Amino acid sequence: MLISVSSFSQNDSIVNDSIRNSYKYGLRIGVDLSKIAKTIIDEDYTGFEINADYRLSKFLFVAGEIGTEEKTTDSEYLNSSAKGSYFKGGIDYNLYKNWFGMENMIYSGFRVGASTFSQTRNSYTIYNTHNEWQDQTIVTDGTEYNSLSAIWAEIQLGLKAELISNLYLGLSVQLKGRITETEPDNFENIYIPGFGRTYDSGSFGISFGYNISYLIPLFKKED
Amino acid sequence: MHMNYLKLKVFPLFLITILLLSCEKDDICAEATATTPQLILRFYDKNAPDETKTVSSILVYGVDDANEAVFFDNIRISTSDSIVVPLRTDSEITRLVFHKDLSGIDFETGNFDILSLNYSLEDIYVSRACGFKNIYTNLEATAESDPDQWISDIEIVNTTVENQTSAHVKIYH
Repeated sequence: MLISVSSFSQNDSIVNDSIRNSYKYGLRIGVDLSKIAKTIIDEDYTGFEINADYRLSKFLFVAGEIGTEEKTTDSEYLNSSAKGSYFKGGIDYNLYKNWFGMENMIYSGFRVGASTFSQTRNSYTIYNTHNEWQDQTIVTDGTEYNSLSAIWAEIQLGLKAELISNLYLGLSVQLKGRITETEPDNFENIYIPGFGRTYDSGSFGISFGYNISYLIPLFKKED
Repeated sequence: MHMNYLKLKVFPLFLITILLLSCEKDDICAEATATTPQLILRFYDKNAPDETKTVSSILVYGVDDANEAVFFDNIRISTSDSIVVPLRTDSEITRLVFHKDLSGIDFETGNFDILSLNYSLEDIYVSRACGFKNIYTNLEATAESDPDQWISDIEIVNTTVENQTSAHVKIYH
């Protein structure tokens, strides 16, 4: 009895000494499931995004996204389509202190994004409150504005949970602010691929991500 | 511990963003938004060109391509020194009848002159919710010949009609 107790306490101290938290380093690659789902459900939308991150230290990751989007926006008086591709690069910082052996993340990230796209003005109604002469005039147009671009800064808040070994499910909110953009003459950018829809009130934007990703482990490092 | 963290920090975040996304007032064209402008005409005294002069019992209405009269919602028979008229956006010519000294709605009475207004139409972007509006440029006005013409002269004050702040055309009589 005495022997067994002492041996147990000895083992315990050995465990505490030798097993320390180790972290997997490697390239994590994924896709945005929400864009795939929206492509299937919404006939006015086509989009695909690949995202990746790479661990630099215990809490810091270098991260980025690359994707394409095509979106038709319809309002009471205007129908337009935007089409283009984008790239975002930056860092993620893990705010979550994991339990022993777990690799989940609640993170805050920063990105700089750039998009090149075109916008087509499909049709518009002449806004006129005095239509005694004629019915509301609807102009079917199809003018395409090419070589448009936008650069924005983005703050991400999200989480990544390891479902099974090396497979992660992630959720994120992206708050964006445009830094520069080229706008078509006598028109404006209604939707910017990667940035999302624009608002009249300012240069801010918001979008969501719902990602699945796989970590290709390259090596492990301890605390 | 783990679940509490999720509830406290992450759940409110998603709630706020969903609320933000649901605010789409940008997509409804507000009634106060400046629309396609109407033409403002002002009547002046031909003997004292700096002074406005009312026209008695005048009704302004349009004439379409089939020579049919087109009446405007906001224009009634009145004795006035100015009038606000919509121009056509489906044609670059608008013909307007200036019918004065009307007794009641008897169009056999009084004296009418017809003005022909020529202009170029331009589509100007307003907003995602209101689309585009028209403005009118290169405005010209000519009186159609008439043996008992009461309009003596027409002056274009502003060849571009893009707002409704002041008169675009002066009519002397």
